[in-house]
Amino acid sequence: MKKEHDGLTFQRGDAVAIAAVVTAALVMIALLLIPSGGNGRVIARIYQDGEVIRELRLEENTEITVEGAYRNTISVRDGKIAFTHSDCPGEDCVHSGWISAPGRSAVCLPNRVEIRLEGEADTDDVDAVVQ
Amino acid sequence: MRRKLTLAVLFLIMTLLLCTGCQAREKKRYQASYLTLFDTVTTILGYEEDQDIFSAEAARIHDQMEAYDHLYDIYHEYPDLVNLCTVNRHPGETFTVDQRIIDLLKLAREADEFSGHRTNAMFGAVLRIWHEVREEGIEDPESARLPELSELEAAAGHTGFEYLEMDEAARTVRLTDPEASLDVGALAKGYAVQKVCETLPEGYLLSVGGNVVATGPKPDGSAWTVGVQDPDAAGEAYIHKLSISRGSVVTSGDYQRRYTVDGVQYHHIIDPETLFPGTKWRAVTVIAQDSGLADALSTSLFLMDQEEGQRLLDQTGSEAMWIGKDGTQAFSPGYKAYIKP
Repeated sequence: MKKEHDGLTFQRGDAVAIAAVVTAALVMIALLLIPSGGNGRVIARIYQDGEVIRELRLEENTEITVEGAYRNTISVRDGKIAFTHSDCPGEDCVHSGWISAPGRSAVCLPNRVEIRLEGEADTDDVDAVVQ
Repeated sequence: MRRKLTLAVLFLIMTLLLCTGCQAREKKRYQASYLTLFDTVTTILGYEEDQDIFSAEAARIHDQMEAYDHLYDIYHEYPDLVNLCTVNRHPGETFTVDQRIIDLLKLAREADEFSGHRTNAMFGAVLRIWHEVREEGIEDPESARLPELSELEAAAGHTGFEYLEMDEAARTVRLTDPEASLDVGALAKGYAVQKVCETLPEGYLLSVGGNVVATGPKPDGSAWTVGVQDPDAAGEAYIHKLSISRGSVVTSGDYQRRYTVDGVQYHHIIDPETLFPGTKWRAVTVIAQDSGLADALSTSLFLMDQEEGQRLLDQTGSEAMWIGKDGTQAFSPGYKAYIKP
């Protein structure tokens, strides 16, 4: 006569179930720990009149021009981005310098152009700047 | 028994799923910016449950800021609106104005008093001369010029709140001198951001051309990080970073809104003593609970000795950092507590 299972004996099915739970837990913990934006990946979105007109990756050196009321040159160099030339009066956009951290932005007000760096912010990154 | 185990496993998986569900409902960080308000950049940072809620809030902030911008604009008039430009263009005439204009002018009158006329919204007669030569000089750097001292001195005779008649109950204002005019540039932005922030939930950070206001901490309880720009460097160069949960930070500096004449740079903060740009400091950064106050204080302190400035800070419970012409830094007693380690 087959011995009645008393519920305490360890069976193969139990092992599978435990493995399943542990695996599920590990996967979920991993999902929580990995930053959703990916590490250090910053995208520069170029806005003109509030609309995204270009997206640039800071990993690739490049140079673009944006036409509007004025003409801006935007350059990406060594993981940083800046307005490098502009025919707007005062050239405040060029003087504002190079940026690289997520959350930072540079603007050319007369041309209504904004470079905005988007990506997962670090606790050390600034949320705003007084100048 | 087997069924019991299966149930237990299912229960565990459900619990785990629920936990990730909590994570998904957490507020996320969103950002919006506008380049059409107060002739500067407005950036809104906020934590909301989804993009739609944030976008609606950002649009509401924009509309409120735009209303303030139009009311306080001294350079343009708008259809069907009596604003400060209207008042300036028609001295002698009495205008019924929006309550928001009365409220700003009340703050302006207080600021004029507590600052010993350093932040003087009735200084328009002098400031409009500087504004004009600066605009011309930026547009055409070759022919940039300085205003004549005699012209400035003549205009200085038409400044001061004695030339502004204001009836708070009737909501009317009138300039009593044909040469007098209002210029609220030293506090209008800061005041407007303050009023708008008072309508916002916690977890928002607004920056309007460097007038920064935090409405309360981030959802995880942490403070916002505000970088203080190094005046001698462009880009991401900060003197230090400030930790601000609630309240306002603003900087007045000799490198803002400037133009160049014969190789010398002239900025926009005009000292009523000399009628020329202030030369005491490179920059002053003020931390205050109220952004309208912070704006007025930073201009005032920029034109004062440290001792006199400190008395103003004491009166208002505010803090400041002064950067001298040689780059040396001075601090009010409580300022360093805000510096991020």
